[in-house]
Amino acid sequence: MQISIQSLSHQYFNGKTTHALEDIHLDILQKQFVALIGPSGCGKSTLIRLIAHLISPSQGKISIGKFDPKQAIENGQVAWMAQSPALLPWLTVAGNLRLAERFQRGKGRQQLSVEQVLERVGLADAADQHPYALSGGMQQRLALARLLLQDAPIWLMDEPFAALDELTRERLTDELFSLWKDFSPTVMWITHNIHEAIKLSDRIIVFSEKPGTIIADVPNTIPHPRVESNPDFQELLSKLRHILHQDSNGN
Amino acid sequence: MHHRLKLISITLIIISLSACSTMSPGTTPTITPAMDHMTFMAGYKPQANLPFVGVYVAQEKGFFAARHLNVSVEHSPGSGQHLQLVAQGKVQVTTQDAAILIKRRSDPGLPLVSFGLIGQTGQQAFASLKSSGFTSPKDWENHIVGFKGTPPPELFALIKAAGADINKIELVNVGFDPRILTEGKVDVYPVYKSNEPFMMQAWGYEIDLWDSADYGIPSIGLTYVTSEETLATQSDILGRFLDAAIEGILYAEKNPAEAVEIVLKYAGPETDREHMRFMLDSELKDLRSPITDENTIGWHDLAQWQALADLLVEYETMQPIDVSKAFTNDLLMKK
Amino acid sequence: MQPNKSQKTLLITLSIVLIFFIGWEVGVLLTDTPVYLLPAPSRIIQTLVLHPETFTQATVLTLGEALTGLLIGVLAGILLATVLTLLPGIEDGVMTLAILIKSTPMVAIAPLLTLWLGFGVLPKIIITALMSFFPVLINVLSGMQRVDPALLDLFKSWNASRWEIFRHLRAPSAIPYLFTALKITGPLSLIGAVVAEWTGASGGLGRTMWLAYTNLNLPFLFAAIFILAASGMLIYRITTWAEAKAVFWQPAQMNS
Repeated sequence: MQISIQSLSHQYFNGKTTHALEDIHLDILQKQFVALIGPSGCGKSTLIRLIAHLISPSQGKISIGKFDPKQAIENGQVAWMAQSPALLPWLTVAGNLRLAERFQRGKGRQQLSVEQVLERVGLADAADQHPYALSGGMQQRLALARLLLQDAPIWLMDEPFAALDELTRERLTDELFSLWKDFSPTVMWITHNIHEAIKLSDRIIVFSEKPGTIIADVPNTIPHPRVESNPDFQELLSKLRHILHQDSNGN
Repeated sequence: MHHRLKLISITLIIISLSACSTMSPGTTPTITPAMDHMTFMAGYKPQANLPFVGVYVAQEKGFFAARHLNVSVEHSPGSGQHLQLVAQGKVQVTTQDAAILIKRRSDPGLPLVSFGLIGQTGQQAFASLKSSGFTSPKDWENHIVGFKGTPPPELFALIKAAGADINKIELVNVGFDPRILTEGKVDVYPVYKSNEPFMMQAWGYEIDLWDSADYGIPSIGLTYVTSEETLATQSDILGRFLDAAIEGILYAEKNPAEAVEIVLKYAGPETDREHMRFMLDSELKDLRSPITDENTIGWHDLAQWQALADLLVEYETMQPIDVSKAFTNDLLMKK
Repeated sequence: MQPNKSQKTLLITLSIVLIFFIGWEVGVLLTDTPVYLLPAPSRIIQTLVLHPETFTQATVLTLGEALTGLLIGVLAGILLATVLTLLPGIEDGVMTLAILIKSTPMVAIAPLLTLWLGFGVLPKIIITALMSFFPVLINVLSGMQRVDPALLDLFKSWNASRWEIFRHLRAPSAIPYLFTALKITGPLSLIGAVVAEWTGASGGLGRTMWLAYTNLNLPFLFAAIFILAASGMLIYRITTWAEAKAVFWQPAQMNS
């Protein structure tokens, strides 16, 4: 499913006006894996929150397929995952998934079962445990399983692995990539980690400091598997670093 | 988890139902068609005050039943509710000492009437430790006198009668706690002759009692009280009640030990048997007087009541009232 | 066998309590304090043992009043919190009313209720319910409103209705807060029942205390106080036990 963003600007009012985003134009094609990188507080989160209809834009327009964000949410076409795994602590692993399943009923899509998604993310043995007994990595795995269950054409992810240690993060990014390959959603993925962005995405969008504008839109055509030692990898890495550096100096 | 919540709720409901089914002490005889029902509320907690004793004995010995009366015996929790309930007609008879009765007729104007004066002399007195060495209230100068709530009018009258200077006496509000006297926090403490002295003597203290009656100050004791309306509409029942209660008092006079056992049935295990006997014996002393000898037990004398009212007007800035309306001898005359 | 941690805690607690009572007993003995000033624990226990029926009856009555009032107050608090969460527009108005009720001293209301409703259990239950309802309302409302924003985002992404969010997110989130309130109102309900009894009662521990005091029968008074203290502690323990079961995902706040 495509996402089209036109002339999008957004301000927050908290006593004084904060310009979060300024004049964003973006067209994301079906099944694209788009990484959003940029300095903290530059509006990336705001952007995907706007797409997820968690807030409404001050100016501009967002289209998801033929729908606006509100309709897309009503149709269950947008799956959301953030830094906090957002699990209900009083439900078991399976219980959390069953609750998600409840909300997907009647959306008329091919649905995986709870057992299947648990199997897929490697949590089949933990089905009867509660979230407090799981490690951070396992909790995010569960959140991924929940995402899968929703079977939505669009995945919006706001730094989902930022709170995890490096090893776990690596495993989970690999997992994410594998899931994207199997299920082909359109993914918009915010990350602070440029290495990861390069590893997974086929398009990297660089944001400026506040107010957020898009200062670079870089296609990533490095063939998989992508390894750090690969010279193309390093080239893209320094290119992105340079762009970010310039922006912070320039401002 | 829903299961557990249910369990807790059910347990709570069972406990509360069991509580609701707990009956209060005190007897309520079953009603037979020929009986007239009425409620007596003692003016304080169950103890051997003479008007209470009359009712307890009449209840237990069947004096009420013999007069076709079915009496519910209740007790005031001690904050004056009994007077309000009688004024409202929810209770037919209560007890009260004459001074308070007169005051309440004046302010706020409760339509209360005494129909039997059981304590011809009041029980109010003042106590001091013998060790203080007081020989007269004049010695109270430069000492501390306690009071409960408000200084009683007879205190001022007593001090005046003894020729003491009120300004040299420190008055302190101490509330109910006779230990204040024994611990030496005050030098003089207001008591009921039939009550606190017993406690203090039991603790091993010797006390002096200063009775305002000894100084010619008007003092009247406990009465049976009803409302003007109840008196107008149910005087027959009240008359029978009074008869039975006085019969109960006379029985107690002849059989004090048995009467005390009856009192304990109402008073419960928190009460001391000897204390109740002391109270009964003390109050029996004030059942009779020249006035009752001339008329009958329970008689009200206008001059006596007027003197008390005058005392209240003088020392408590009470608005004067028509004292003759505060009592009636009618039910006593129906003999 | 090495005592485990909870056995150790129990042992320590019992020791402290025992030392306290022994100290009290010895203190009274040594200073020759008269019984009407401060009775020795042995005398108090003796009084308890000599009048089992009196105390049992009084305890059952007071506990019944307290727990019934507690139940009503808790249910009312939860109900009102639910209504205010689902209909946020009326929150200000209703809260003002609730605060008015809360601010009125029970000592003023209790005698009025006794006058209207008599010396039976009803006024006590009402007073206790009034005292219990406010902490529960405030806490449960707080729990229902202060849900994890990340969870709220998730539910919104699922297009959940206000009712669905309430049922699956807000209501369960409020349960820990409910138990916090219960830990306060549980023992408080006992006090409420006792205070209400002081303004007029035909039975109960409060009445026993009042009668005992006016007779300066201190062993009796203290016996009633002991029962009240033990009951309050029991209620508290039951509440924390239930809390551990219901809020199993949060470990109890204890220093290890």
